[in-house]
Parts: sequence; structure tokens; C-alpha cells
Amino acid sequence: MMVRCLRTAAVLSILFASTRAEAIPAFARKYGVSCSTCHSAWPILNQVGQNFRDNGYQFGLGKDDPVTLSNAYVPLAIRATGAYQYTKVTNQLVDDGAGGSKNVDVKTGGVPTPGADFLLAGTVARNLSYLVVAAGFTDDEPAAIESAWARVSNIAGSSWLNVRVGKFELDLPASSHRGVSLLADYAVYGATNAGIGFNLGENQTGVEIDGHNANSGTRYSVSIVSPNEDPGSSGAWSSPTFYGHLQQAFDLSNTVLPWARVGVFGAQGQLPTVFETSGGEPVPGTGTKLKTFKRAGADLTAIFGYPATPFLVNATYVYGKDDEALGGDPGNSFQGGFVEVNWVPISELEYDATPWLVFARYDAVKYKTGPGDVSGVTVGVRRYLALGPRASMALHVEFHQDKTKGASEDPDGNPLDVTTQAAMVGLDFAF
Amino acid sequence: MTQTRFLAIVAAVVLPAAALATPPDAEAAKRGSKAYGRYCISCHGTSGDGRGPSADWIDPKPRILTSGTFKFRSTPSGELPTDDDLLRTITNGLNHTYMPTWRALTELERKDLVQYVKTLSPRFASEPQGKPVAIPPRPSFTKELTAKGKDVWNKVQCASCHGDGGKGDGGSASTLRDDWGNPIIPRDFTSGPLKVGDEPEDLYRAFQTGLNGTPMPSFAESITPDESWALVAYVRSLRKD
Repeated sequence: MMVRCLRTAAVLSILFASTRAEAIPAFARKYGVSCSTCHSAWPILNQVGQNFRDNGYQFGLGKDDPVTLSNAYVPLAIRATGAYQYTKVTNQLVDDGAGGSKNVDVKTGGVPTPGADFLLAGTVARNLSYLVVAAGFTDDEPAAIESAWARVSNIAGSSWLNVRVGKFELDLPASSHRGVSLLADYAVYGATNAGIGFNLGENQTGVEIDGHNANSGTRYSVSIVSPNEDPGSSGAWSSPTFYGHLQQAFDLSNTVLPWARVGVFGAQGQLPTVFETSGGEPVPGTGTKLKTFKRAGADLTAIFGYPATPFLVNATYVYGKDDEALGGDPGNSFQGGFVEVNWVPISELEYDATPWLVFARYDAVKYKTGPGDVSGVTVGVRRYLALGPRASMALHVEFHQDKTKGASEDPDGNPLDVTTQAAMVGLDFAF
Repeated sequence: MTQTRFLAIVAAVVLPAAALATPPDAEAAKRGSKAYGRYCISCHGTSGDGRGPSADWIDPKPRILTSGTFKFRSTPSGELPTDDDLLRTITNGLNHTYMPTWRALTELERKDLVQYVKTLSPRFASEPQGKPVAIPPRPSFTKELTAKGKDVWNKVQCASCHGDGGKGDGGSASTLRDDWGNPIIPRDFTSGPLKVGDEPEDLYRAFQTGLNGTPMPSFAESITPDESWALVAYVRSLRKD
């Protein structure tokens, strides 16, 4: 039952994903370029944006160092989304008023207080870059530092050696913080067969070494981090988790399949299972008897059609297994992934050249044993009302539905599936 | 009779040029217009007139693509650039400007952009594109060659614009304007690469071709290839960084 509850919590967290970060109009202002320089459709990075990011927020043409800028330039961006949201969650167990319980569907709707992301990002000097993201600022989600890191780029003059330290997002097949969906995270990132808190999509604290070739067609990233929700073990590096990702792109330069990229990635971490206690409570940092959890996967990204109006497909597969000593059914594991499509159908000779984005995603997670299997669909449209060199605003319409196997139970304790439906329409704004 | 003769002369002069022109590939240009709308329009404008919404805020100003006048070419002064010249600028960007590198775009897009850029100026439909100037093999940059280069520097009066020390502070520097009347600052040779690149060949090429649309002339007629390499050696000796 405990595992079921933990999985339910993980699944429900895919709803109303917290405000998304890392679309940074301050860069457009710094370089005088349009958002579409770096984004296929904001917030999705294109290869130019990926290359700019891989270079430590630098184009490398003598305009990166802030000493070359007007004193009036402030490397600050803000993003907020105001939206009407509706949610329906089935088979929730509630009191029946007669001492028992019953199952009901819970429906909510309204305009929640918009959260906001404040992003400071840029370079302090050539090859020295940083990002600080403060997010939240609502009653339900207090302000917190979502991300904060500093990076030394092009060590020894080589783009193959860059080091980042702080709290950052792992180099994932699809960014959890730059996804276009405002309703649902990637379900497989948070999947666990032991109920541990580790989530690939959450920002992690640690060190990353990464590198890339001139156009970021070949790139790698290796990290050692203390994972999110880390209960803390004793040792030189608390609960070390290693992550690596290698990608290779192919410039096919035809009008049907002009570009494709394949990648492999994996993570292996350790969490403690035995703690010293104080008043019966575990003392963080005293954990011992570390047990292992693993994730491994592959990703394929391809552009169909003309790259300036891409039909962008990302398919990602993940296999995961948590040691049974961490919880859950003996011998259990999971596999899953997602297929995501982002389509920019139009590019015109107008200043808002790419006014539409159509997106869709299918998520799936399947456990070897027990409940928690997830299947979900997300579809949406963004109409860019402004997409210029200073700021951007989009009308965002999205629908999401997922079904989680055995995530609830009836009054007799029999497992019930939970279906969640969510819809939103609102204005997504970045300056 | 006079009119007929005039038309014949015009035809004799213009038609061969038009016949040798290499107009843009229509299909590639049509595709390239989508890439242009996405990546280029905020600076170069919808028509290529260099008046995109970002243009007022950046310096140097975006290239006015409708003019068919390009600074960075491998072709003789006054001539149109080759496709490879345009592709090189798009791919590498330009140092010390707001023209970023687009090397991460697919080769298809970059080549399509070249064809679209060619549609923005009528010159490409009526004139042949130039032939690249020959660049002899790079000599060793000896002290003797550098000393000879200083003589060339004095001979062609580089210091009048670029200053005695090459810092871009010559006597006439403050008066210089480009073809569109914008103030233009001579290159400071003491720090950083040229806009177009940091190889000695980039300097050599600039001496031979000049920079169309700017006061920087071509010296192809006034210095020999050996002198040109000597000047390259001297100018590179001015670098302090």
C-alpha cells in the first residue's frame, strides 16, 4: 500500500507542472536577435540555441563579455503564466459521512495565482557563465531557488571540456524545465519501483563535465550529483549519483528528413537504508548501507520537413530498477518513455514569423509487477501573439489525460484505476 | 539610327553581363525565405533593407541586403560575392558584430539562405558573381618581411585611417562614413580578430578586395602579392592581445 501511495503521489505530480523556466529573453535583448534564433518555438530550443547553451551562453564573436555591453543592460528575464485550469480526478476515496468511505470524482476549476520565474543568466566574463532561477512566489509554492550554477567553459581552449557546479538540470533527452507542456511533466522521469524520491527531471546538485563539437552535433555530459530528495548518507559525497548522456546528430540536409540525433544515457545512484536516529527520527547525513538505483535509456530526435518549419519528433525510452532494499516488490523494475511531437507549421516573412506551435505527447510507464502503470496523452496549441527580439507572449491551450493503474482503492481496499483530465487556456508571457 | 546604335551598345554591354549572371535557385530561395523569416528578419528586415526592429539598437548596422553590396568577399572590389562568400558569413558570423554564427543550422538551410539573400538584390539577376582572387601561399613572417610590410603600410597610407600604431585612431578616422552615411570606425589592429576571421589569409583577402560599401579600398592595383603578404605580416605584428 505504501508503494501504491508513493506512486500515486509521483503520478499526480505530473499535473500542473510548476512554472517552467529557462526561456530567457534577456539573451535576445543582449544580442539583438529574435527569440526564434534559439527556439524552434519558445520554449523549445533549436540547434542554434543548443549550441549557444553548450558554449556557456556565448556566441563567441566578441559580444559575450558584459564589458562589451551598455551599462543599462540587465541580464534578467521573467516568465509567468496566467490561465484558467480545470481538473478532474476519478475514484478518489473520501468519507461518506456515515463512518465509512466512498469513491468520488474530484473536479476543480479556476484561475490559480500565477507563479513567476525570475531568471538571471549570462556571462561574467569570457567563458565564465551563470544561471540563477528563483521560482514560485505563490501561496502554494513559496519562492525558492530552482536552479543556481556557475560554469567554466572552453577549458584549455577546448569546447570538449566545460565544468558546471551548482544546482542544475541534468542533460536529459528532453528538458523537463523547457518543455512546452504546462500541464504535465514527463511521467517516466519520476517513475520508481521502490517509491524513492529521485526524479530525473528535477534539478540536481553537483558537478557536471560536458563537451561538444563546433555545432553541438556531437555532445556529451557526465555528472556526479547528490540526487533530489536525498536523505543523506555519510561519506565524502553524500549518496553519489552518476549520470551520463551522449548524443550524435546527423545533418542529412534533405527536405524530408534533414536532421536526426540519437543518444544514450544512464544514471546510477545510491541511497542509504539505515540511519542513526534522534528521538526515533533519522538523522540526515548518517545513512549507511547504500543501495543502488539505476536508469538507462536511449533517445531519438528527428526533424521531418523543412528545418525552419520543423515537425520535430522526440522518442525516449527509459528502463529503471531500484534495489528492493529501498522498497517495493522484490524483483520489480519498470520501463517507459514518451513520444513527443512539436510542429511549427508556418514561417512567414513577418516579424512574428512563426505564429503557431502544435504539440502532442504520449507518456507511458509500465512496471514489471504491481500497480502504478501510467499512460497519458497531452495535446495543445500555442498561438504566439508576440515573438520578437525583446519579449514574447503566447496564447496557450492544452489538454491532458492520463490513467494510472491501481492508484486508488475502493472502500473494501480493492485497487482502482485513476483517470486524470486537465485542461487550460491562458497567456504565457516572458520578458 | 542614333537610338538604335545606343540600344546596340547597351545590349552589347548589359546582355553579356546578364547572360553570365547566376541568379538564385528559385526552389532553394523559396525554402530559404522560411529560414530568413525565422532567423534574419529581426535585423535585416522583411525586405532585406536592414531595417528590422532590432536594427536601431545595434552597431554596426545590419547589412542592407537589397543593395547587393557586401563587405566580406573573395571577389575583386565592386563585384558581387560568390555563393561560398555568403555561406561563409552565414556559417561563421562576424566578429565584433551582432551577426551570430549559424553553423548549427543544417547545411540545407544555410545554402537556401544564400539563395534567398541573392533574391533580395536585383544585381544577382543582372550581373555575374565575381571570381575569387588568388591567394598565394603564405610566406614565413620574418622580421625582414615585417619590416618590408611597414614600408608598404607607409606607402599606401594605412595610418591615415588606422593610426600610426594601428589602433584605428588615424587622423581621418572620425570623419569616415559608409555608403549609407553611417559613421564607421577603422579596424583596431592591436586587439581581436577581423570581423571576417583571424587567419592571415583573411587580411590578405581584405587588402586585395577592399570592403565594399566602406572607405576601405582595394590595394590590388597598387601593391604586389609579395607586398600584400608583407603588409599582412606587419599588421599582425601590431596585435597586443
